[in-house]
Amino acid sequence: MSNDRVRPILPPPLIALVGWLVPGAGYLLIRQRARGLTVGITILILFVLGLLIGGIRVIDVPGYDDSGARRTVAGRWLLTAAPVAEIANKPWYVPQILTGPVTLLAGQFSLNAARNRIDPSHARIRDIGTLYTAVAGMLNLMALIDAAHRAGKERA
Amino acid sequence: MSLLAYTPLIDPLPIWSYWMWLIVPLSAGVAVVYKSIKTESMREVPRKALVTTLWIIGGMAFAAVALTAIVRLLEA
Repeated sequence: MSNDRVRPILPPPLIALVGWLVPGAGYLLIRQRARGLTVGITILILFVLGLLIGGIRVIDVPGYDDSGARRTVAGRWLLTAAPVAEIANKPWYVPQILTGPVTLLAGQFSLNAARNRIDPSHARIRDIGTLYTAVAGMLNLMALIDAAHRAGKERA
Repeated sequence: MSLLAYTPLIDPLPIWSYWMWLIVPLSAGVAVVYKSIKTESMREVPRKALVTTLWIIGGMAFAAVALTAIVRLLEA
């Protein structure tokens, strides 16, 4: 009997979490290496292409203004004072964050660029860059749901 | 801005005249991930992804032509 057969499949929520942390990694945990590598590498390529097309500032982090400073209301950080309104103000961040912690890292670079007075790109090129990064996140959502579903089927 | 002045991640890509071609890598990426998820055998993915990419691009081109025709018709 091969080692693969005796190794248990992890619970679906854990597979989904790992799939969010590293795109495609959920498939690797259920021993679907080719699928995991294809999906993960493609998603990361789309995300990086979005950053290259529109510039790092296509990641528009909620809770911060155009100069990279924290936005506050009545002394409180806007993201904790009115989180829904602030995220609704920057809705593209929701699909972008689905790509995983790589978005948090890119967001930090974006804030640093804003503090260094690097202007965001404008018009169509910015839209296309944002679209690439958001589509990467939506594809990762599909992939992590599928990996968790497959893990559930294999455990049953 | 010329390509020589382009700083990756800082400047937007200087492709103002060719932006429409950016649909090709996006469509290919969507098709590859979608078909990888939907297809049981990964051996079939390259062919199916290529067909899906062509369908997406063809559909977009058709939509563009149809919407242009409608706008021209309304403006006439």
